[in-house]
Amino acid sequence: MPEDLAEIYRSTYRSLVRFLYRKVWDAERAEDLAQEAFARALVHKPENARGWLFVVAANMARDDARKAARERRHLTLLKSEPDAVHSEPEDRIDADAKRERVHTALDLLTPRDREALLLWDAGMSYDEIATQTGLARGAIGTTLARARRRLVEAYDAGSEGQHVARG
Amino acid sequence: MQEVRGNMSHVDDGTLHAYLDAELTPVERARLEAHVAECAACRNRLDEERALLERASGLLGLAQPPERAAPPLHELRRPSVVWRLRVPVAWAATVLLALGLGYYAGDRPDVSPAPEPVAMRSADSSAAATRLADRLAYRATPPRAQTPPETRPLAAAERKEAERQPVMVVDGAPVSAQLDTVPVGAGAANGVVAIRSRDTGAANAAPASAPQTTRAALPQRTREEVGVSSAIVQREDDRRALVATQWPIIRRGPARQLLGAEPMGVPGLAVRNIRRSPTGEVVLVEQAIDSVTVIQLFQERAENDQFGGVQVRGGTVGTERLARFIGGVRVEIAGPLSADSLNRLLEQVKPIGP
Repeated sequence: MPEDLAEIYRSTYRSLVRFLYRKVWDAERAEDLAQEAFARALVHKPENARGWLFVVAANMARDDARKAARERRHLTLLKSEPDAVHSEPEDRIDADAKRERVHTALDLLTPRDREALLLWDAGMSYDEIATQTGLARGAIGTTLARARRRLVEAYDAGSEGQHVARG
Repeated sequence: MQEVRGNMSHVDDGTLHAYLDAELTPVERARLEAHVAECAACRNRLDEERALLERASGLLGLAQPPERAAPPLHELRRPSVVWRLRVPVAWAATVLLALGLGYYAGDRPDVSPAPEPVAMRSADSSAAATRLADRLAYRATPPRAQTPPETRPLAAAERKEAERQPVMVVDGAPVSAQLDTVPVGAGAANGVVAIRSRDTGAANAAPASAPQTTRAALPQRTREEVGVSSAIVQREDDRRALVATQWPIIRRGPARQLLGAEPMGVPGLAVRNIRRSPTGEVVLVEQAIDSVTVIQLFQERAENDQFGGVQVRGGTVGTERLARFIGGVRVEIAGPLSADSLNRLLEQVKPIGP
């Protein structure tokens, strides 16, 4: 196997899973897709493997999301708690609710803003994000600024309704 | 990026975020810092944007998948990981594996086991070989251009080798089947081999349900006669390449003309593409089971098939279970699924109407 791909696998796998998770909202599915993307990279041996992986992963996630739209919601509710630090049921419920709000808030972003934000959070540079999204490099900062602002606003707007319940 | 020199103009949000993300060039960075040092308004905004950025990162941090160790990269080639939902080893794979390992035990140490055969056909003639080559060329077509020259599908020498008719002896009995192995995409790393099982009329003497004994009984001589020049097993890589087909896509109408009947498919599955072989004899219907799994239904007029009379289902030679006649069309199924699954799908195949 190519050395660089092995290295990319070490450095990028978790990022790719995280990136995918925020698209499919199912941890196991995200891992499956990430592994599938790497398995394809082993075959295709792309030149810019990192960028290629995210493109392929994004495409797979999109296909997957369509197919799994119905079951996804159910699965998300059943998934084990990602935030392992909190083991108390109440904390878990709280964390689930927060994650669901983040999910909702992310869904409220424009696809382009969301993609840029998730790619940045997955560790991509502005240059890489520009290549990936087709945005001008100089527009990435503005895109991210807007995405972050909207995410926070949408999250806060979503949590207002639950403020009383959360205490 | 907006001008950030001196007090002449303020800094826009995008630049502030690029600064916080450490994505400004050193020059831009120095300018911004010089400006912020003198401009209280921009200093405040920088603090605000920093808080916003941290808040957004924190929110994303709430939506983290659980940390789990990544499987070793080399294991991703194995279907047990990637095709987690599949039953990976079909009996047919066992036959191939057994034959392949037996044959390769001596001189090909790097053959990795793989789950499934590429194609199983009941046919034997040069015409059939051509069609098979057709098919294999398609299957072996690498998805990218950067393949070494020896991976050309079916080099002439290989084709010649493919025409050999090695004899397989099962349990000391007379020949009950002949194997015709066609290496494609040769080279140990990318070997694809299709085995065509030839029914010589004594098929019933070769119980397909006992592939392991087949291997055990294979005399050395026979193994060497099986003229395989490449890995006998198909690898995960190549199987994935099945999806990246190079056959031309055609519409339903031309497909109907080629077949003299409606193209066949599994009801309820989305038809990805209808393709035809370069020679125009075989129609391929690709159907998606899910986003990453595509089954392939190779179909041709039954009269094209040299062994049209072979009983294709119901307990003769096991390999024949993956093909079936429907009306005047011979349908063969392939895909990254177990033989059982493929069989069940094949049972459902029927003409797909417009």
